[in-house]
Amino acid sequence: MIRFENVSKTYKNGTPALKDISLDIEKGEFVFLVGASGSGKTTFLRLLLREELPDQGRILEAGRDIGDLPKWRVPYLRRNIGCVFQDFRLLPNKTVFDNVAFALEVIGRPRSTVESQVPQILDLVGLADKSRNLPGELSGGEQQRVAVARAFVNRPLILLADEPTGNLDPANSESIMALLERINRTGTTVVMATHDKALVDRMRRRVIELDRGEMIRDQVRGVYGVDEGAML
Amino acid sequence: MRVYFRYAIKETLSNLWRNRMMTIAAVLTVAVSLSLVGSALLLKQSAAQASARWQQGTRVTVWMEPTASQNEISSVQTQLASMPIVKSCAFYTQAQDYAEAKQLLPQSEWSVLTVAQMPSSFRCVPTVPANAFVVESTFKNQPGVYSVTAPEQQIREMNHAIRIIQIVFLALAGVLLLSATVLILNTIRMAIFSRRREVSVMKLVGATNWFIRIPYITEGFIQGLLGSVVAILAVTALHTWYPLHNEFQLDTNALIGTNAVVLIVGVVIGSVGSAIAIRRFLDV
Repeated sequence: MIRFENVSKTYKNGTPALKDISLDIEKGEFVFLVGASGSGKTTFLRLLLREELPDQGRILEAGRDIGDLPKWRVPYLRRNIGCVFQDFRLLPNKTVFDNVAFALEVIGRPRSTVESQVPQILDLVGLADKSRNLPGELSGGEQQRVAVARAFVNRPLILLADEPTGNLDPANSESIMALLERINRTGTTVVMATHDKALVDRMRRRVIELDRGEMIRDQVRGVYGVDEGAML
Repeated sequence: MRVYFRYAIKETLSNLWRNRMMTIAAVLTVAVSLSLVGSALLLKQSAAQASARWQQGTRVTVWMEPTASQNEISSVQTQLASMPIVKSCAFYTQAQDYAEAKQLLPQSEWSVLTVAQMPSSFRCVPTVPANAFVVESTFKNQPGVYSVTAPEQQIREMNHAIRIIQIVFLALAGVLLLSATVLILNTIRMAIFSRRREVSVMKLVGATNWFIRIPYITEGFIQGLLGSVVAILAVTALHTWYPLHNEFQLDTNALIGTNAVVLIVGVVIGSVGSAIAIRRFLDV
C-alpha cells in the first residue's frame, strides 16, 4: 500500500528531516510512528499527503509513484487518504453533521450520498445523537471522533493520524484508539504518529521509530521505548 | 455538477454578504471609473460623428439669405471664383439645402421648415483650412449673405476641447480602475482569510483547486459586473438627458457599443482582481 524507497528530505534551512528511509506498509496494517519532536514524523506524514516532495528516492502509494502525479491530480490522491490531527481542525460554525458532510460536498458527492453516508459514519463513531450540535458544544474526545468521522466518511484506503490523542485524557484516548482499530479492521491502512507511550505499548502493533530523520527501529509487534523492546 | 453549482453560488453570495462594506466600496469605485470611461467614449464618438456629418468635404460655407436676389448671389459667386485662396466652390440651391437638412436634422425639426425658408449656399474648399477665416471675414457683411460658417475650424476647436476632456476622464478612470482592482483584490483577500479553515479542510479532503478557487473568482466577477451595470445606467442616463445628445445625434448603436466596452472592462477588472488575490493568498 505504501512504499518508501531510499527517501530523503532536507528542508531549505539545511536541517535534514528524513534520511534514506526505505520501508513497506501493507494494505490493512496498523503502524505507529514514534520518536521525539523533530524526529521527522510530521515530515513523513506530509510526504504521504504530497504536501512535500522528497529530495531523493520515491514514494509509492497503491503501486504508483506519487512524485510523478501532476499537480492537478494531487486532490484525487488525497481523497484516498483520511487525516486526523491533534487539534481536530473542525469548522466551528458548522454542525457535526455539516462538518462531516462538508468533506463529501467539496469533492462533489451528490446530496443523496451525503444524506446516506453521514448518519452512517456518525453512528459508527457513536455521535448520532449529537449531529445537530456545534463542535464547541462537544468534549475534546467527541470532537476528535467527529474529525475521525470526517476523515473516514469517504472510505479512504489510508488513514493518517498525527498525534490524535495528544489533546485527550486517557479515557478519551482509549475510545479514539478503539475507533481507529475498528476502522483498521475494515481493511484501511492506519499510520499514526504518537508520543503516547502507554498506548503504543498496550496495542502491540508495528512500530517505526524515527530519530533525527533516521529510521532506527521497525518492529512488528513493538512497544514505545527501545530498551523495553529489547527486553521482550 | 449541480451540487457544485449550488455550492459555488452559496459560497459566493455569503462571501459578498460577509464583506458587504468592502463590496459596496469596490462596486462603487468600479461604477465611477467606468462611468468616466463610458462618457469619454461617448464624447469621442459624438465628436467623430459630428465631424463626419458637418464636414462632408466642405471647409467653409457661405449661407445666402433665403430672400437674396439673383444679383447678390451671382456677385458672391464671381468674387469666390476670383479668390486665389479658394480652391473650388459648389452652389447649393434652396431645394438642395432643404434636402440636406432633411437628412441631417431630426424629423421634429425639419418638418417645420419649408423650401422657401431655406438659404441657398456656396460650399467652398479653401487652399488651406486656415483660409476659411479669410472667406468668412470677406463675405460676412456682404448684402444677401446670411452668415459664413467654417465648420472645420469649429470642429477642430471643439475636438481639441473634447480631446482634453477625454484625456482627463481617461486618466482619472485609469487611476480609479486601478484602485477598483486593488479594492476587489482586498475584498477577495478578506474573504479568503475569513475562510482559511474551510480552505485548509478542503485541501485536506481532496477538493480540486478549481473547486476551491471558483467561488472567489465569481465573487470578483460579480463585483465587477455590478459596478459596470451601475456605470451603464449612468452612461445611458447621460446619453438620454445630456444636452450634447441633440446636437451630436449619437445613435443607439454607439451607446450599445460603449456599454459593451464598459461591461467588458468591469468584468475584466473584477476577474483580474480576484485572480491576483487567489494567486497570492489562496495557494492552490
